[in-house]
Amino acid sequence: MQSTTSFSDIPEAVVSVDASERSVAITLDAELYPLQAVYGAAYIFIDRCYVFVDRPQPGRYRVTLAAKQDVAEPEALRAVVGEFANELLACAWRHQITQDNRVAIETVTVQAIAGAMGEPSLDDLADFDFTDEALDDPLGIAQSWEEKHGRPAPAKAEAEAKSEEEAPA
Amino acid sequence: MQRINLAEIKPRPGTQAYFRYRQIADDSIVISNLEGNWLILGAEEFGRFARGEVEPGSPLHERLSSKNFLRANYDVQAAAERMKARKYFIHAGPLLHVMVVTLRCNETCVYCHASRANMDAVETDMTPEIAEKAVDVALGTTNNFVTIEFQGGEPLVNFGVVKHIIEYATKRNQELGKRLEFTMVSNFSLMDEEKLAYLLEHKVQMCTSIDGPEQLHNAQRKLPTTHNAYQAAAKWIKRINEAYIEIGLDPTLYHVEALMTTTKATLPLWKEVVDTYVGLGCKTVFLRPIDPFGFAERARLRLEYPRGAYLEFYRNALDYMLELNAQGVEILERYAAIFLTKILRGEDPNFLDNRSPAGAGIGQLAYSYDGTIYTCDEARMLAATGDQTFKLGTVFDTNYRKVVGHETVRAMTIATNLDQQPDCVNCAYNPYCGTNAAYNYKAQGSIFGRMRDNNVCSVHKGIQDYLFEKLAAGDPKVMQAFERWTTIRPREHFVQDPKRSQTP
Amino acid sequence: MSASAARELSFPRDIYAGEAIDEAVKTWSGFADFALRETDDHWIVALTPKPEYQAHARRIVGEFGNAVLGMTIDRGGAT
Repeated sequence: MQSTTSFSDIPEAVVSVDASERSVAITLDAELYPLQAVYGAAYIFIDRCYVFVDRPQPGRYRVTLAAKQDVAEPEALRAVVGEFANELLACAWRHQITQDNRVAIETVTVQAIAGAMGEPSLDDLADFDFTDEALDDPLGIAQSWEEKHGRPAPAKAEAEAKSEEEAPA
Repeated sequence: MQRINLAEIKPRPGTQAYFRYRQIADDSIVISNLEGNWLILGAEEFGRFARGEVEPGSPLHERLSSKNFLRANYDVQAAAERMKARKYFIHAGPLLHVMVVTLRCNETCVYCHASRANMDAVETDMTPEIAEKAVDVALGTTNNFVTIEFQGGEPLVNFGVVKHIIEYATKRNQELGKRLEFTMVSNFSLMDEEKLAYLLEHKVQMCTSIDGPEQLHNAQRKLPTTHNAYQAAAKWIKRINEAYIEIGLDPTLYHVEALMTTTKATLPLWKEVVDTYVGLGCKTVFLRPIDPFGFAERARLRLEYPRGAYLEFYRNALDYMLELNAQGVEILERYAAIFLTKILRGEDPNFLDNRSPAGAGIGQLAYSYDGTIYTCDEARMLAATGDQTFKLGTVFDTNYRKVVGHETVRAMTIATNLDQQPDCVNCAYNPYCGTNAAYNYKAQGSIFGRMRDNNVCSVHKGIQDYLFEKLAAGDPKVMQAFERWTTIRPREHFVQDPKRSQTP
Repeated sequence: MSASAARELSFPRDIYAGEAIDEAVKTWSGFADFALRETDDHWIVALTPKPEYQAHARRIVGEFGNAVLGMTIDRGGAT
């Protein structure tokens, strides 16, 4: 394939091409595209591209997509860039939407899964892993107030107070 | 179409309750709200609504107010009840359980996505042991309605296990008391009077495939050269319909239904397809577009078509069907009926591939011949190509609760919730629509997909555009047809009597 | 990342998870030798394909990078 360093319709500062590597590098504004969106878009290319994400400078991501197979036409790499950009936009927008609609989405999902699962039987409860690692607690609901706010538990506070009283002057 | 121009309209928020809109013609804009109420406004009306210039007491104000589009008298309670009614299905688990009793099939279909096997591949038959374990999982559902659907390959090839499942499930259901039904999707070419007698006795609903007129059907669905696939299916459609009459069932309610898959060759034959279905006594045709699973992928270049071409085919076929309806011929289109039930009746017919969230894992499960459990039949077809992304376990190593609580099911439930989906969040058809996570994954690389260039989305939008155009035109004969298409008459005959004792 | 410098990959710590790198190194240790070091901002992986796999160097480096990305995403991100 003839070597080229950019596409005629995209500035090289945004997309550069390394024809010998069959790769394109796309530079993104990190403020427009959160990392979660970059992950989401990059991930769907790992079946046909080698994907690498780095930071060329603060406030920027750079996603390099190197085609696994031979790419006969430059248009194919241009198509990869276009498809990645569309997927990235979809992921970025979805990231925003899920934050805005989180309660509605969670409510429906919880009800759907709970409705399908029904109540646990005694056997289900006996099998359940109650260790800490098994329990996802992203909102810290299972944390005690003391853990969350850094104050000692009542029994511990009392013991500390007592040991302070007993400490030699 | 002359598009409305928001810059010229100069919308001013404040008087409107939340709404979405979509222009379907020069002077027709559909507006819908969260709970699925809708109106069709003219361009001038839409402009007044958008600017908040609707005079209280005017006819437009009355229309908007009665459908909950105005902020001043927005009825939260009514909206919540309507939304809850539309989402009733999320309170119970899978009702559809697809049992793939064999991969063996005597037909070779150009678009087959059942990952068929040759007739000597007996290792692809489900065993009675696996069948019982699959039924145990299926009957563990929290849903009081259970439909076990026999698929393949060709399910009649493993008729012994079909019978075993029917008898075992019926016996187990004596203690559970669920509303249990059986259905079978078959090419009918291996049917005989003995099998028919058994299926009739055990109230199995029978469904087949008819791709259109005989020449098209036989070109796409090949039996060994000594047999005619169309004639075989047509013969047994007629025979089964006669048998329903013989046992005293109302033929307008009880008759064999058929499915079709639209290929490139089908597109010019919209009239012939409808005429074929009417001629066979079918009351429903389901104009399904082709999908990317299984063999269809390999034959894609020959079979596939732009979705614009499909929608043109669809419109032609529907226009013709509505003409026939006006002449008293009873024929409806399934896709249209599904959407119209949601649009006109505010009810969800629970078609699992077209609801939000979709039915994968929470509305349906698929059990492969080897006991592997998948979120849906498309997932099973994907697995046949080596991709086990949507596998939930096997009947040997898991149980019902673990299956439906699987993280894959959670992911698909979220991914098919249209309230997190770009494009869908702003689409006027959001309350009536749905997406398919396995399709999105196969076609676009993620279970979320991208709706703007998604074939299923373009079909759904296109069909709903057509339906709303008809609703805007308001032809009384078309409205009558739509009323009939959305009237659901339950077919109680197919519900198994849980008290019925079966001899194993 | 270019083909010739491809044998040293600098993974930004705020994008890639260290545990993902460790896991990927274990998975790919049959195909390449790895040397790991870190800076304040990066995990640095020096990757040398084993002699019998030299002809597949591009693929090994690329798939290793994909594995690290995938495992990072599976973990929910770098932190």
